[in-house]
Amino acid sequence: MKISLNEIKKLVPAAASVETDELIKLIGSRLVEVEGKLNLAEKYKGIYIVKVVECEPIPDTHLHLCKIDAGAHSLDGPIQVVCGAPNVRKDMLAVWLAPGAVVPETYGEENFKLDVRKLRGYESNGMLAGLDEIDLGDDHSGIIEISPHHKYTDAEGKEHEVSPGDAFAEAFDLNDIILDIENKSLTHRPDTFGLVGFAREVAGILGVKFEYKNEPFDADSQDARLEDTVSSGSPQIVQKTATHSEDSPITVTIKDISLCPRYSCAVIELSDALSDDKYLTDMDVFLAKAGMRGISKIVDITNYMMLMTGQPLHAFDYDKFLKIAGSSEIIIRAAKNGEELQLLDGKTIKCTTDDILITANDIPVALAGAMGGASTEIDASTKRILLESATFSLYNLRKTQMAHGIFSEAITRFTKGQPASQTLPVLRKTISLLGGKLLSVVDEYPSPTKKNVVKITTPEINSLLGTDYKTELIIKTLENVGFTVSCDHEELTVTAPSWRTDIHIKVDIIEEVGRMLGYDNIPLDFPTRPFVGATKDSLLDLKSRLRTILSDKLSAHELLTYSFVSSKLQENVGEDTDDSYEIVNSISPELQRFRQSLIPSLLDKAYTNIRAGYHDFSLYEINQVAKKSYGKDSDNVPILHNHLGFITLGDYYSMKVILTTLLCDLGIKSPVITELKAGSLPYLEPLHSALLTVGSSDSPLKIEFGEIKSTVRKRLKLPETVSAFEIDLDALLSNIPDVSASMPELSKFPSVERDLTVKIAKGATYANVSAAISAALDSEKDKGIIYQITPVSIYQKDDASKTKNLSFHLEFASRKKTLENDEIFAIMNTVSKNIEQVGAEIV
Amino acid sequence: MSSVEEIKSNLKALNAEYAKIKTLLKEERKSFGEELNKRRRKLQAELQVAMDAAEAENIEPIDITAPSAPNAKIPEIKQGSRHPLMTELERVLDIYSHMGFDVMEARQLDDEFHMFEALNFPEGHPARDGYDTFRTSEGFIPPAHTSTMQHRALKRYKKDLENGGKIAVVIPGRVFRNEDVDATHEHTFYQCEGVFVGKNVNMGQMLGVLKNFFDTYYGQNLNIKTQPGYFPFTEPSVELLIEKPKSLGGKGDGWLEMLGCGMIHPNVLKMAGINPDEYQGFAWGGGIDRLVMLKYGLSDVRYFESGKLDFLKEF
Repeated sequence: MKISLNEIKKLVPAAASVETDELIKLIGSRLVEVEGKLNLAEKYKGIYIVKVVECEPIPDTHLHLCKIDAGAHSLDGPIQVVCGAPNVRKDMLAVWLAPGAVVPETYGEENFKLDVRKLRGYESNGMLAGLDEIDLGDDHSGIIEISPHHKYTDAEGKEHEVSPGDAFAEAFDLNDIILDIENKSLTHRPDTFGLVGFAREVAGILGVKFEYKNEPFDADSQDARLEDTVSSGSPQIVQKTATHSEDSPITVTIKDISLCPRYSCAVIELSDALSDDKYLTDMDVFLAKAGMRGISKIVDITNYMMLMTGQPLHAFDYDKFLKIAGSSEIIIRAAKNGEELQLLDGKTIKCTTDDILITANDIPVALAGAMGGASTEIDASTKRILLESATFSLYNLRKTQMAHGIFSEAITRFTKGQPASQTLPVLRKTISLLGGKLLSVVDEYPSPTKKNVVKITTPEINSLLGTDYKTELIIKTLENVGFTVSCDHEELTVTAPSWRTDIHIKVDIIEEVGRMLGYDNIPLDFPTRPFVGATKDSLLDLKSRLRTILSDKLSAHELLTYSFVSSKLQENVGEDTDDSYEIVNSISPELQRFRQSLIPSLLDKAYTNIRAGYHDFSLYEINQVAKKSYGKDSDNVPILHNHLGFITLGDYYSMKVILTTLLCDLGIKSPVITELKAGSLPYLEPLHSALLTVGSSDSPLKIEFGEIKSTVRKRLKLPETVSAFEIDLDALLSNIPDVSASMPELSKFPSVERDLTVKIAKGATYANVSAAISAALDSEKDKGIIYQITPVSIYQKDDASKTKNLSFHLEFASRKKTLENDEIFAIMNTVSKNIEQVGAEIV
Repeated sequence: MSSVEEIKSNLKALNAEYAKIKTLLKEERKSFGEELNKRRRKLQAELQVAMDAAEAENIEPIDITAPSAPNAKIPEIKQGSRHPLMTELERVLDIYSHMGFDVMEARQLDDEFHMFEALNFPEGHPARDGYDTFRTSEGFIPPAHTSTMQHRALKRYKKDLENGGKIAVVIPGRVFRNEDVDATHEHTFYQCEGVFVGKNVNMGQMLGVLKNFFDTYYGQNLNIKTQPGYFPFTEPSVELLIEKPKSLGGKGDGWLEMLGCGMIHPNVLKMAGINPDEYQGFAWGGGIDRLVMLKYGLSDVRYFESGKLDFLKEF
């Protein structure tokens, strides 16, 4: 939203005496974020109003050779300018961009600067500007013409008629600052979407009472009543809500007041003064400052009123309306499903039952709050208009906005919930601006809204803010912006003005007081609380430990990848896409499904990194996954699992050592590794994978790990062997032993070291042999033997070989004594025997 | 400098002088002995220096700028990395933990109730549009802010209030917005929420706690300021800005928008079964991605979820 500081200063005289930067700072800290400011005085520098004193066509071109009188800027005689516009003529007042001026249309972007240059051999000093070049409109058909009777007030406050040489910015109120307002944080404040409402807030921030000066828009004032509207407008026929008159030319029927709480409208016979003329007006400039464009006098006036008050208006061609209706009945109702309506922009929409329609005797003529219909559009031949000032359900209009993609200035305001109280006062003011002859006014307001009253005490306000504001200050602050307050000592009864539909409860008042007096003036403090240590979340703590082990110790890289994956990725790795939650409004097919496991995302990133030239890495991610088959929790939302996914460019064995080292670091010393029969990870190659089990409790930890299937790898374009594991962190957490209990007792006596090579059939397992050795050493437990068996190598001559050699390094000691030679011999003997029993022989 | 041999012979000569002690008067012996000891220590020190110098002549110098000796394998250390967002998040949580806040993680799939209803967004209200939420075909919502967890946090810790304590919890989590991705916008990012509820809790305390967090985080006493905001679940609501810290090149002029915060709306407390006439509280939520981007001067938010080792191994 764009806000002109000059307009604010006109409405709040006190603002004029505040430094601009200070004013902007106060607005930013006490009303709304100011995202940017544009200094129009800079933008319109070096631009003057000039009189064309000579104008001769240049032969064989569309150009004219002009001489201009630029007052004090052409003391050496008229200045030569070449102009290509068809409407340039002698004696007109035009807008001259002098050499050195930046073309406003390009200001802030390429900043195109004018100079003296030759056109078709004729020297041209700067240019005469069109509406588009000066960035006040879109018209490119000719240059701007200024009325010789255009009046303005100069910096000293004197009123002038324009004369050649006057600065354009001064003559058209462009020595101004435009604020770019972040309107998201005003969602609950429909009143601030009009300049009057915005200015009222500025007054409040400055600590002064907002007074209506020139613009009687006060929805709550006495003169806003219908009777006054009528007496000032001299209508022929008047209809009021309460007294339906039989001979009234128009009737309004609201089918459902929840859709349209109030509908005010008037029929006006237009005066000739409303026909459009050729001159640039203050209105054009006013609209341009707000980011809008002049269209026609009637539309401009309704837009002006909307920008001032926040209340959108719509003008129908009344004669077209009558023709369609066959009567003068306006019916406001919900649309029927599929009902069609051609809009002003030429598009035909199919309505839904959420849309609200304005109908001419049940025939749709406008999509309420959003856009008028083509069939009742006003045009040059329009004689009478039906002017609507109404308020509609913001909930329905929100749906209309979404369903039909209409994001106009009007619907943006309506969806904030414009108050019903203002429709008639705004209508009244609009009528007076339009002039013409008021034929009829109707105000259908079946259930007038009551003003909101809140009872609150001074201590309640100070308690929530942490302040010590006095009752008098609080009352003054609220009254400055239109609240009425009565008080009994520190007990306040606050009545909100009608436009503050957002005021219902105590905090609404507290917010007003705190904001207006400045949150930055609240003294900083600390809460008091008991000295109780914060408890540590064990799952978060585990995640932190995992990062330490995996990144710092096992040289893996932590990744974060999107929670959403493509159906294609899930299909490629063999996951059941139907078990995934599907995002119905995903940004792209790449982000369509909530992931079921982390490994596929990691494999996807492995591809990226291999392509980038990395060939030796491990990746992991700690994140949440979901499957429909997990079910829902007690809140009836999907159960999510916290997982650790890990991949490494390497085979099963390289994965196994990482996994067992990780578990060992967590205190899990002796996991059981068994064949993976039917795993839950469809992308693991079962013959090159295993199931690791920890604990025999009710919830044992089961980890599937191993190599990715070659078919999956091919589909994901991964050239090398990749292995992976994925762990459910809750299961891991419940199986991590208490570290203090697992500290082994160390021996004080010297240990014995022996190397051992065992020959065994090719198909026999390593575990068989190592278990035989362990068993031998375990059988010596009564001697207090502690031991360690370290694999050294596995040798097999070639594929055809029927046997393989397993080499071990044994280290053992007694906790009780230094082992004697004969005792060592006895132990090694048992080892040999055990090895032979499993069909192996010591080499 | 004297050679090793010279020093050795000098030392030998000196040792011989000790024999003279016997020939001296008793009262002279002490000072004579001390003098000899002094000279001997000096010679011994000289001898050590001379021997080191002689040894050095036998040692081949190496090229200290090379990665390895000639013909030797270049030594390699494999290094892993932690994701910068997680590192920063751990640091943030660490500060809040020390301030006495419990930590509770946010969930990544939630529902309309927790995203909107429990946070005082009326049904069908246009304020819901501002969040650009994703939806699953069942109507679940990958949360657009960590505030989704406020209701759960209030319910979980309510008993602490009843026992005369306070609710003090921070909630980190991954959040999602349906918006186009560019250098400054991601559809997936991280936030940290905070909730504090008790008796006599006020806005001055909220600003004090948050200022203290940023002072600790940036290791500097920072100025703060606010600008009014609008969130249906807090009232009053503000955006908190901090002075640009020195560590980020601040010179006391620029401001950084860090988070949204406010006093918890009475309806939000009521929904969780907490009596708003008895208790009041504050809540805040801010992005983690931005902290990391500011810290490392990153210009593109898309790096975070890119999974690229080129980026990650820098951390």
